[in-house]
Amino acid sequence: MASDDELSLLVIVVDVNPIWWGQQAQREPEFTLSKCMDAVMVMSNAHLVMTRSNKLAIIASHCRESHFLYPNKHWKAGDFAGDESSCGSRDGKYELLTVGNDLISEEIKNLMERTEVRGQQTETLLAGSLAKALCYIHRVTKELEAGQEMKSRILVIKAADDSALQYMNFMNVIFAAQKQSILIDACVLDADSGLLQQACDITGGLYLKVPQKIALGQYLLWVFLPDSDQRSQLVLPPPVHVDYRAACFCHRNLIEIGYVCSVCLSIFCNFSPICTTCETAFKIALPHAMKAKKKKLKPTT
Amino acid sequence: MFPGRSGLKVTGGWVLMDEEKGEVGNLVWAGTAMATSSEEVLLVVKRVRQKKQDGALYLMAERVAWAPEGKDRFSVSHLYADIRCQKISPDGKSKIQLQLVLHTGETTNFHFTSESSAMKDRDAAKDLLQQLLPKFKRKANKELEEKNRMLQEDPLLFQLYKDLVVSQVISAEEFWANRVSMNSVDHSLTNSKQEVGISAAFLADVRPQTDGCNGLRYNLTSDIIESIFRTYPAVKQKYGENVPHNLTEKEFWTRFFQSHYFHRDRISTGSQDLFAECGKLDEQGLKSMVGQGVRNSMVDLTSLEDKSLDEGYGISSGPSTSSHNKTLKENSNAAIIKRFNHHSAMVLATGLRKQDAQNEQNGETSSTDGNSKDSDFFQPSVKKVKLQEAIEYADLEQENGRKPVALNLKKSDRYSHGPTPVQCQQYATSQDIINSVNCIRHEIADYTPRLTQVLSSSTASTAIAALSPGGVLMQGGTQQAINQMVPNDTQCELKHLYVAAGELLRHFWSCFPVNTPFLEEKVVKMRSNLERFQVTKLCPFQEKMQRQYLSTNLTGHLEEMLQTAYNKFHAWQTRRMLRKT
Repeated sequence: MASDDELSLLVIVVDVNPIWWGQQAQREPEFTLSKCMDAVMVMSNAHLVMTRSNKLAIIASHCRESHFLYPNKHWKAGDFAGDESSCGSRDGKYELLTVGNDLISEEIKNLMERTEVRGQQTETLLAGSLAKALCYIHRVTKELEAGQEMKSRILVIKAADDSALQYMNFMNVIFAAQKQSILIDACVLDADSGLLQQACDITGGLYLKVPQKIALGQYLLWVFLPDSDQRSQLVLPPPVHVDYRAACFCHRNLIEIGYVCSVCLSIFCNFSPICTTCETAFKIALPHAMKAKKKKLKPTT
Repeated sequence: MFPGRSGLKVTGGWVLMDEEKGEVGNLVWAGTAMATSSEEVLLVVKRVRQKKQDGALYLMAERVAWAPEGKDRFSVSHLYADIRCQKISPDGKSKIQLQLVLHTGETTNFHFTSESSAMKDRDAAKDLLQQLLPKFKRKANKELEEKNRMLQEDPLLFQLYKDLVVSQVISAEEFWANRVSMNSVDHSLTNSKQEVGISAAFLADVRPQTDGCNGLRYNLTSDIIESIFRTYPAVKQKYGENVPHNLTEKEFWTRFFQSHYFHRDRISTGSQDLFAECGKLDEQGLKSMVGQGVRNSMVDLTSLEDKSLDEGYGISSGPSTSSHNKTLKENSNAAIIKRFNHHSAMVLATGLRKQDAQNEQNGETSSTDGNSKDSDFFQPSVKKVKLQEAIEYADLEQENGRKPVALNLKKSDRYSHGPTPVQCQQYATSQDIINSVNCIRHEIADYTPRLTQVLSSSTASTAIAALSPGGVLMQGGTQQAINQMVPNDTQCELKHLYVAAGELLRHFWSCFPVNTPFLEEKVVKMRSNLERFQVTKLCPFQEKMQRQYLSTNLTGHLEEMLQTAYNKFHAWQTRRMLRKT
């Protein structure tokens, strides 16, 4: 059957920005990072159970690093035997899920333990995590056997705000994903993210801003669990209107009509005779001012 | 000649006289009721029966007519423009007849009954008609053909025609009024058509059919004859010499096909054959062509040999075998191949000969066919260019040419900043940061996954409600599906309506500003056309949509456009009334 040959790889990128989550724990104690990780685990288990050939990867996106929570570098699937801490499944669960869950919780604990925030590094390295996800997908694609096909998608669970400095990298990642036909889905917990909206629009994924954080698990299972083939058969939230307006280089205002320098393509909201980026001088045709007629001096007789 | 009664002049042509009786014959003049006084009679034929009545046939400048004996009024009259073709009865039949077939399909039969000269009469009439008909045919049909062609080529136009003219919203003349003017422009452009070439298989296409008892029937059309003449000018020359003095056309072609010239194996059997000379000319022509060779210094045809040592062992470079060593079979094969090559060369030459005929004043090279053009082609300059192309590679050359101006950016970090505001939304103090980090560390240190307590049922059901159709998150979904909600044939119909309405509105709006009385009439007519369109096309469409429960307003825009037109018309009309009073 065709479905046997096609693998589905889901890479979940979880935003574990400690500052945001710490503040969140203080704001809303009923939904904390633990709850979020639980919901993520439920979804990943569901994904692995849907089809035997499904693959999974989870990346934690931190302020200082992007770390793979699953799979572990030193661990191979099926390698249960020599491990004392988890001899088989305690509650009758599929062993792969048990091992996976244990691995994820251990990794996140280690990650948070070694958190140190220095200076200005308060923003999530989302672009970097996405790049790592793309690289992982690429590696897995290369390791496939002949004749196997794989469809991959990336699910981003975003908590903190966008980082303006990562804009360029972000856009590059988005276009690379588009070229590789990798969907980028976004589940946004707090504030709307323009960058992720663009990512979803360009790659064909789904963007959802979750109204109730506590029900995160339900949203993940309902909206983000089906893959792209199945989504065409389901009634899912409609795409969001994306604001593609450019921002002017001088004030960073979003403008619809502006002036573009023909040399360096920088965008301005007002005309200025010299482009501030490349220092080219421009002339613009102004209406001719009526020259005052010179008065003839009457020759004195 | 002699003047006729009723002011008719008989000019030119010849009048058939009844030689036996020696009288001029009772030429019946056409009555003024039928013929105009300036009509030229080109030929009159007496003793022509039509519908079992004796009479005479008159061929005039623009029409053919027949009047019964004793009467001076034409009972049958057809314009040449109406006649599609003429037919004659086969030669063996006792009745000598001429039939005229009109475009409408009607046929008129004329029976030539003169005892002595019926055949001659009929042939004379036929020849004259043959000359005259083509002149008139082209004028009349051209427009209709043009229109038909346009309708067939453009399905949209055809649909528009069906919508507007067939359903009588506007008349056909209005429809074609704008478009026919485009016709005449196009036609003049297409007059400079390309010459149609000759198919190399034209002789083979003349497939003979067995005639029952050992004979062969060759069907020769004028196209084939033309191809033969163009390819083999020697044959044309022979034709010119012999027909119609010595042989009839039919005899000529019979001899042609019988002659060995035409046959596969050309073994010359003496010189009785008319075409033996042609065979010799062909041989000479071929020899000179081969002698001339290909004047292309890049190509060396003589180094290509067909003698191979063995399969896959390449070419043997021994001396070319002389003709003595060839076997009989090889000889005949060689003959066929030679003829084949010659034939192909002649076919190709027809195209070149046309151009040479135009340059004949300058050129001397059109004596042998085929290679003159090639030699001209490889003039020294062309050869040089070709050699240079083969030697040089553009990207291996040194970089020369002026360097482009470098882009000098002062503030290039502006590009990497996306459409997000520079300052971050929230400002966190360092104390806040430290607190948060500590908090999260504590929390995660005690983390164990509790996967059975991820969701409570109430939260889950609220989430599901929000995600179901009509829920909070599902707003804005139905607007996109409009083209999925409306069936395809409704969409097609809507498109046709738009095209038809657009056409009518274009006619309407082009009338403004209304300067001439013609435009005034047209405006009024277009207004009524628009109303008719609305009633006959738009309203049924709307009713159909209502019946199908399509709540979307598909025709709102159309109605708006029509209403604007009506308003404009109303304004113009009131202004006109005011001006009159």
